[in-house]
Amino acid sequence: MNLSFFDQFMTPHLLGIPLILIATLFPTLLYPHPGNRWIPNRLTTLQLWLLNLITKQLLLPLNKKGHKWALVLTSLMTFLLTINLLGLLPYTFTPTTQLSMNMALAFPLWLATLLTGLRNQPSISLGHLLPEGTPTPLIPALILIETTSLLIRPLALGVRLTANLTAGHLLIQLISTASMALLPIMPAVSLLTTSILLLLTILEVAVAMIQAYVFVLLLSLYLQENI
Amino acid sequence: VLHTTRQLHTTQQSLAPLPPLPEKGGEVRHGLIPEEFFQFLYPKTGVTGPYMLGTGLVLYLLSKEIYVVNHETVAAACILSIIIYAVKRFGGDVAAFADKLNEEKIAKALAVKNEAMENLQTAIEEEKKEQWRVEGRSYLFDAKRNNVAMLLETNYRERLMMVYNEVKKRLDYQVAMQNLRRQKEQDHMIEWVEKNVVKSITPQQQKESIAKCILDLKALSKGAHAAV
Repeated sequence: MNLSFFDQFMTPHLLGIPLILIATLFPTLLYPHPGNRWIPNRLTTLQLWLLNLITKQLLLPLNKKGHKWALVLTSLMTFLLTINLLGLLPYTFTPTTQLSMNMALAFPLWLATLLTGLRNQPSISLGHLLPEGTPTPLIPALILIETTSLLIRPLALGVRLTANLTAGHLLIQLISTASMALLPIMPAVSLLTTSILLLLTILEVAVAMIQAYVFVLLLSLYLQENI
Repeated sequence: VLHTTRQLHTTQQSLAPLPPLPEKGGEVRHGLIPEEFFQFLYPKTGVTGPYMLGTGLVLYLLSKEIYVVNHETVAAACILSIIIYAVKRFGGDVAAFADKLNEEKIAKALAVKNEAMENLQTAIEEEKKEQWRVEGRSYLFDAKRNNVAMLLETNYRERLMMVYNEVKKRLDYQVAMQNLRRQKEQDHMIEWVEKNVVKSITPQQQKESIAKCILDLKALSKGAHAAV
């Protein structure tokens, strides 16, 4: 099949059947259920250890009420991590490159934190709009600026994830195209390009993990402010 | 994975005790293809069978352009080489880490059990010691009994001594009274005799005695003069 550069970002179809649901839910199949065992096999042990680590890290700064969010945050983290890493394999579709999906994740969760804050502790929540120690003449301007920054948060969350992953995938594709095109012409330069591609792929692996972590971390930060 | 994967109603539903996990995972060749596949093809095609199959398949896909070589091929080569490198380099360490986690879990439980056993063992020994101590109880009582007897004896002797002293005091008093009486009688008698004797000395006798004394003195003085 002759691929264009858009094919990676189009939702997959098989004979007209949209496969987006399978593509989004497939990563869950990769995690074995721990079952009733006390000492599980290596994969399950590592998975449990990783989940433990993630949950501890995320919930450390939150107070007791924030622990209700443990399941959402941990599952979100695992979801994004797996999808991002699986997207680096060839011919895979990465759901998180779609802005629609990332906004669908970011917007409701951000709104949930905001509404929690406004409902339970409205004055503290609104008080976050003004940083401490600002000189008095600047207060109106600063409130406007902080409000804008608050309202732009979901957009930032979604677009950050989308842009990072899309840019990474696109770069991989472009550099591999260049490497392939240069192969018959200047093999040495092609080799150089391939080495750049190797480094880029390593970077992309790192970015995949970091972006998932950053998304969930920022959400937990917004939660910390508001709960 | 939910328990819907088990066949329904073929076994009792108890989940314990679980069958133990196999010691090693399934044998794989080149990290991907199970060993059973090679064994499956061995009777018909020998050792090189599966490799021929694989090579033929790949070449077929490539030559007929069923698989088109495009930019994704290069990207695939990169990511796969990275994955293989990571697995080969860190695979052993990760497996050892997982084993260590499990070992620590087991060791903690074992430590609890061993500590409990040691505590009980120590308790048993302490109990035995206490029982041995109890046997020596009779000696303790004997010693105490001796002590008490000695105290009683001492007390009795002290009281005897006291009685003796009291009786002696009373007898001494009587003796002293008698002595006093004797003494007084003696003194009185001596005094009476002296008084009477002095009274009986008449003046005649007095003169005679004085003259005799003077004569004696003269005789003595003469004798003394002669001596000197």
